Amino acid sequence: MQQRRELDQVYTNRKLLNGQLDTPKWWLPTVSILGVVVLIGVFVIATMINKGLGVTGLARPVYWGLFITTFVFWVGISHAGIMISAILRLTQAEWRRPVTRAAELLTVFSLLTALVFPLIHAGRPWRIAYWIMPYDVARGIYPNIRSPLIMDPVAISTYLTGSTLFLYIALIPDLGNLRDRTTGWQNAMYTVLALGWRGNPRQWKMQTVGGILLSALMLPIFVSVHSIVSWDFAVASAVEGWHSTIFAPYFVIGAVHSGVSAVVTMMALMRWLWKWDDFIRPEHFDALARLLIVVATGWLAFTFLELTFALYGQDAPEIALREMQMFQWPWNMLFIIFFLTGYAIPVPMWLFKRVRTNIALMFWTSILVNVGMWLERFLIIVPGLARRTPFVYTWEAYRPSPVEWTIFIWSFAWVTFLMLLFSRFFPLVPLFEQKESQVFTDDVMIGRAKVPAIVREAE
Amino acid sequence: MATAEFGSHNWGMVVDVDKCIGCNACVIACQAENNIPLNSQDRVERARTISWIRVERYWEGDFPDAKARFIPIMCQHCENAPCEPVCPVYATYHNSEGMNVQVYNRCVGTRYCANGCPYIVRFFNYWEPVWPESLRNHLNPDVTVRSRGIMEKCSFCVHRIRRESRSARSAGTEIADGAVQTACSSACPTSALNFGNFNDPDSKVSKMKEDKRHYTLLDQFGTDPNVIYLAKIDADKKVGSGAAASHD
Amino acid sequence: MKLNRREFLALTGKTAAGAVIFAACGLPERELIVQSPVDLPEDLVRGEDAWYATSMGDFSNGDGVLVRVMQGRAKKIEGNPDHPITRGKATARYDAVLQLLYHPDRIAEPQLRYSKSGNLVNISWDDANARFKQALSNADGALTVVTNPLRGHLGAVASNFAAEYNGKHMAFDPVEQGVLHGAVKSVLGQDQLPTFDIANAQTVLSFGADWLGTWGSPVQFGVKYGEFREQHDRGYFIHAEPRMSLTAAAADLWLAPVPGTEGDLALAIASVIIEEGLASPQNVAAFEAAVPGGVSGVSLSDAAARTGVDEHRIEKAAKHFAEHTPSVAFGGGSAGAHTNGSFNLGAIYALNILVGAVDAKGGITSNPGSAIDGLSASATGASFADWEAELAEWRAGNVETVIIRGADIVHGMPNSVAIREALEHVPNVIAFGAVHDDTMDFADLVLPEETFLESWGIDIPEPGPGYQVVGTQQPVVGPTISQDESGLISDARGFGDVLLDMSDGSYGRDMESLVRDSLSDLHGTGRGSVSASSASLFTKGALQRGGWWDTNESGSANVGRVSASRGSANYSSTDGTGDGSIFHLVPFVSNSLGDGKLAAAPWAQQTPDPISSASWSTWAEINSIQADELGIKEGDVLRVRSTSGEIEALAYPHPGVRPGVIGIPIGQGHHEGGRYAKDRGSNVLSILVDEKDAETGALAWAATRVTVQRAGKRVKVPKFEGNVEARPVEPGVPVLVVGVGETAEHAQEENHHEYQKNFLLEGEGADDHE
Ligand SMILES: Nc1nc2c(c(=O)[nH]1)N[C@H]1C(S)=C(S)[C@@H](COP(=O)(O)OP(=O)(O)OC[C@H]3O[C@@H](n4cnc5c(=O)[nH]c(N)nc54)[C@H](O)[C@@H]3O)O[C@H]1N2
Ligand SMILES: Nc1nc2c(c(=O)[nH]1)N[C@H]1C(S)=C(S)[C@@H](COP(=O)(O)OP(=O)(O)OC[C@H]3O[C@@H](n4cnc5c(=O)[nH]c(N)nc54)[C@H](O)[C@@H]3O)O[C@H]1N2
Ligand code: SF4
Ligand code: SF4
Ligand code: SF4
Ligand code: SF4
Ligand code: SF4
Repeated sequence: MQQRRELDQVYTNRKLLNGQLDTPKWWLPTVSILGVVVLIGVFVIATMINKGLGVTGLARPVYWGLFITTFVFWVGISHAGIMISAILRLTQAEWRRPVTRAAELLTVFSLLTALVFPLIHAGRPWRIAYWIMPYDVARGIYPNIRSPLIMDPVAISTYLTGSTLFLYIALIPDLGNLRDRTTGWQNAMYTVLALGWRGNPRQWKMQTVGGILLSALMLPIFVSVHSIVSWDFAVASAVEGWHSTIFAPYFVIGAVHSGVSAVVTMMALMRWLWKWDDFIRPEHFDALARLLIVVATGWLAFTFLELTFALYGQDAPEIALREMQMFQWPWNMLFIIFFLTGYAIPVPMWLFKRVRTNIALMFWTSILVNVGMWLERFLIIVPGLARRTPFVYTWEAYRPSPVEWTIFIWSFAWVTFLMLLFSRFFPLVPLFEQKESQVFTDDVMIGRAKVPAIVREAE
Repeated sequence: MATAEFGSHNWGMVVDVDKCIGCNACVIACQAENNIPLNSQDRVERARTISWIRVERYWEGDFPDAKARFIPIMCQHCENAPCEPVCPVYATYHNSEGMNVQVYNRCVGTRYCANGCPYIVRFFNYWEPVWPESLRNHLNPDVTVRSRGIMEKCSFCVHRIRRESRSARSAGTEIADGAVQTACSSACPTSALNFGNFNDPDSKVSKMKEDKRHYTLLDQFGTDPNVIYLAKIDADKKVGSGAAASHD
Repeated sequence: MKLNRREFLALTGKTAAGAVIFAACGLPERELIVQSPVDLPEDLVRGEDAWYATSMGDFSNGDGVLVRVMQGRAKKIEGNPDHPITRGKATARYDAVLQLLYHPDRIAEPQLRYSKSGNLVNISWDDANARFKQALSNADGALTVVTNPLRGHLGAVASNFAAEYNGKHMAFDPVEQGVLHGAVKSVLGQDQLPTFDIANAQTVLSFGADWLGTWGSPVQFGVKYGEFREQHDRGYFIHAEPRMSLTAAAADLWLAPVPGTEGDLALAIASVIIEEGLASPQNVAAFEAAVPGGVSGVSLSDAAARTGVDEHRIEKAAKHFAEHTPSVAFGGGSAGAHTNGSFNLGAIYALNILVGAVDAKGGITSNPGSAIDGLSASATGASFADWEAELAEWRAGNVETVIIRGADIVHGMPNSVAIREALEHVPNVIAFGAVHDDTMDFADLVLPEETFLESWGIDIPEPGPGYQVVGTQQPVVGPTISQDESGLISDARGFGDVLLDMSDGSYGRDMESLVRDSLSDLHGTGRGSVSASSASLFTKGALQRGGWWDTNESGSANVGRVSASRGSANYSSTDGTGDGSIFHLVPFVSNSLGDGKLAAAPWAQQTPDPISSASWSTWAEINSIQADELGIKEGDVLRVRSTSGEIEALAYPHPGVRPGVIGIPIGQGHHEGGRYAKDRGSNVLSILVDEKDAETGALAWAATRVTVQRAGKRVKVPKFEGNVEARPVEPGVPVLVVGVGETAEHAQEENHHEYQKNFLLEGEGADDHE
């Protein structure tokens, strides 16, 4: 660990609550611009629902396109929260502390965004009630639980509920803090939300146990969500490149890759925007980058495995698909960009500590990863459908329409908009975690010996 | 033996590819019978046409040995249909008469079934279907006009089956072999398309499907179709030479 | 514990919890039965439909159909299973006619053009009739009635009407069949076309005629073709045509001769048969008597060089034709559309003599004459030469009134005759029709005409099935009020009825009574398919069944001589047409639009062409290898220029065209024709050059040569085929091809091995796949 300044409690409070207590100047203009983009997106979505999916670029046989790609992308991003908070909490990785809140938040908001896509991509979104609820009790007609499209909403909404609770429980101590520092309507709001938090030992205990229990509960959900999303594709036995048995772990590890990268992007932004250099420090980037090297390499192994299956099995249609994906225009161009940005550029760079601790480089490389990971989903979903089937009357490519691109852009503006809105009312870095970590790292003098203030069993 | 009781039939089609001349009579008959929206030029260009049955043409060889081979393809009414289990709302399911049926009311338009179908015979309504008011006069009242946002496909002309079985039931008789003809099989001038009941061992289709030329499309998927094809015969093919169709 | 449903319910009913659950869910008892999911909406329809028998009128050569009518609206057209021509089957063109009946641009009321340069305005029928009478008052000796070729009463009404005014009745057929009728007359001594006993033939040899798609009686031939293939050894089919039509695609052996050399090809086949001694001496003698000069001077190598068909193929065709009898040879279409067309067709039909196929089972059978006195069983258009003469009269101002129905002469005639200018010289042009056509641009009076679904008639099929057939046509729907209450779709009247109204009544009162009278006469003969105790019951019976036929009545041929002298085809010059590669233009009738009659119907527009899969447009088929050489890609807009004009068409290269030949479909390029046809594609008929068959004066519509140049634009061809690149799919998937006697399983195995060898890397895994 590097040398860092001693932070006193007052400084920490003031610094970390600056979003709520004295809003930065850039906040309002940024949120307004994003708000306009969000409104445009909402208008385009409404138009699409009004006019019909004819406004997209979809055509037989490419029935799924940008929307499903982006859906999978955001579900992937959502895996950051649990990865950082739950897993690192259970493994007691100290460096997680400043980023847990933002990661959980990213989970909640990206899930909310992801859920929009399957809804609007359906031909009759207003009938979705038929889809996800056992709606027709009177006639005994239930949804088809064999369909991954039923498992999807179940898994995702469970994940969403869990993550929201998780986020909230971790927020309670900070809400108490905010309640004590505000007046007027804000005070009233925080009072309600803080659920009578006084910070007494019993409350602390309950809060900690709740967090740990939820962490443990969330882990299987975390694995299930992207596994189930992957089955959307894996069960389609007729689609080359989709019907793969490795999809579940492949998607999960890919999700961690993109999710954690997104957290890195966000951390860099937080550090720059709120000047939290004291809290989000190079060592955090260093630790995340090390994690990413492992995850990315594991993910790469799956990518290669996928290609190997075609070659090893000598399955001609599968080989044809891979050939199309990798060597035929325009897929080959996308494939090269995907490989460079998803792995070949960032991961070797991260091998150097100078890169890992350089915030700007980490910011840009993490962006690259998500460009690559979006393309990965696109390259899994679309070429599989645009494949050359044995029926030559159905060979068609797909070009997303401006409507689809607008809604794609909307999703990014929307997530950012929500994050910034959240930052106006709630601290993005958990104060109590931060302080706890300071206590952990404090030394006390016992006699002449300098010993850690707290000794934790695991260490 | 066939009776008009629901469920006692296994409807199926035998397509003699050797007799198909590619005339497209079946295609238009189906368009007219099933209220399929007009395939405007724009829809053709954007691959958004709806054609529950299509007649594909495959080239083989080069001039002067070029050969054009035709094959009509409609929903294969798979017994083990990959389109069915993926539908979240049971809008497409298998009935007890060997047909894959589509309940337009339920369909929410996920297009998942269409991804699942290896034969690419499912069609999505991107737009609300419109006809000039006067052309609506020729719409078939037996067949629902599908609104936008839903999936559709060959129904084996289920309304014709229902009509026939209703009259058979009320007359207390059985449905005679050949009494139910789909719009396409009825139109087909060369009788390349043959529709009937596989449960009746004496039906024309039951006999035809025993032909040594019988095959099913994409049998590697194990879909167990109720549409059986009889192979195209090339009188000049040297058997055993492996001179095979290839698309170039 | 095993519970049945009732016990279970009784049990749960006793517990409060059970009661609450069931009450809350509202689950009625019956819902616990596991049953098939809900019925389709289709299951619920209870309406009753009626199927009326009628005939296809102008849209086929006498096909008998059933029209499904529900709630007063025609819903569907299918073949009439009783009718000897259709036998319950259909073509891609049948249902499209419904869209003419209910066409959104259907002419609703009579329309008048006050001055030649003015617009059409709606007028009442009374006014229209008055003006019609007016136009006739000066027309004595200066009246021409123009129709499509008509065989039933309608033709007779038109002829009688013209005669009443000392005028002419001229039929117009853009794709002339006059050469065919001439050849049949000279070789077989028959006025009506014979029937081809395809179903019982072992070998079918045809030339130029797209008989499975558009030529003659496709539905009749299609049914027979099905039976032909069902025979024990499946028959063998040889077809000669420079471009692959769907008929050529169905052939076992496709010969692609240089256009215009079909007669040479036929003689070469004859010479092989004679030289190899495959025909009996009597037949050879008869053949030599029929063909001036016989096969003297015909050498195989010469013929191969001239026709562009290699010797091996000619020999193979000849041997099959002579050895696997019964055989039948026939031809028409582009084979007769040359300056030597009569010779070509004569030589082709004479081949039947060589194998003894005339009036033989499995060969050519003659058709008897019409069963109704005075009604022709055969009709052709006036020859192009006659038309040129007629148009000269128009131009000279010698024709006062022209009445036109069923023939879009402005669209159908080549630029060379300047039809527009000729029409402008006619003081009164009266046009009948359902939807505006190009000719109506020059009409002074436009009268809304009933479609065949609304009117009465007698339709005698041509070619007949070998015996007498009288098809009936009756109104199956009345006037239709549009569902949006915009009013009557069309206040149309029948062409025949209007003419009869205007005439002195010598021919008849109205079409319905003509039909009923003819049927009564048939009852008088006491023979045929309908037997009834009274004429009125007979009439009902015939109308119910769609007509009357007598399988016992047959015709017989009277073998004559090929009247035309042996000659080679002259092609039009391309001098002065500018740069570009020189191609031989072979126009072909569209499988869905016909010669353009159905262009107004969206279903006809959207039907994919069997070969190119293109729709909604005009495309040009050229050989794919030649296209590569010329740098022409699919979708290139081609400028196709003859000495009499220029059109544009989208390139569609494929392997099924003879190099040097460009095939362009007929049927598009209308200036009018309603919203679906207007200004769509190009009219290939317009650039045909004034070359005629030497014998009959018919337009040699396949004798035009053109220069072809890229216009520099490239668009997507509106075709149903995907974006196909040259990339192999697994052989046998989806069209599995087997050899004779081979099983599908065997063929699949073979294909798989082949594919493994070709596709997989260096044959790896190919061998150990077993
Ligand atoms: N599917 C469908 N729905 C329709 C129509 C349709 O054609 N098809 N038509 C519509 C029209 S036009 C109408 S008028 C309505 C008719 O709809 P309803 O008024 O529902 O007519 P019904 O169902 O014929 O008869 C009603 C009930 O009255 C009972 N009934 C018979 N005689 C008597 C009697 O003397 N006293 C009493 N108390 N009951 C009696 C019958 O047994 C029946 O249960 O339906 C409308 N709905
Ligand atoms: N056995 C028996 N007989 C009954 C009854 C019964 O219950 N049992 N019910 C009686 C009753 S209550 C009624 S109301 C009558 C109903 O008897 P009908 O008046 O015969 O009613 P529908 O059967 O609906 O037939 C009306 C026709 O109008 C057509 N149509 C629909 N829309 C339009 C339009 O916009 N314009 C025009 N021109 N036509 C249109 C329809 O296609 C249909 O052919 O039946 C009576 N008869
Ligand atoms: S052919 Fe396709 S749509 Fe039809 S049953 Fe089979 S999988 Fe389903
Ligand atoms: S498109 Fe309709 S039928 Fe197909 S899976 Fe979705 S809801 Fe089911
Ligand atoms: S069976 Fe009926 S629905 Fe299916 S393709 Fe034929 S006509 Fe169309
Ligand atoms: S109607 Fe019959 S012959 Fe014609 S394309 Fe269809 S299946 Fe083939
Ligand atoms: S009248 Fe028709 S739509 Fe209305 S409730 Fe009855 S069945 Fe349903």
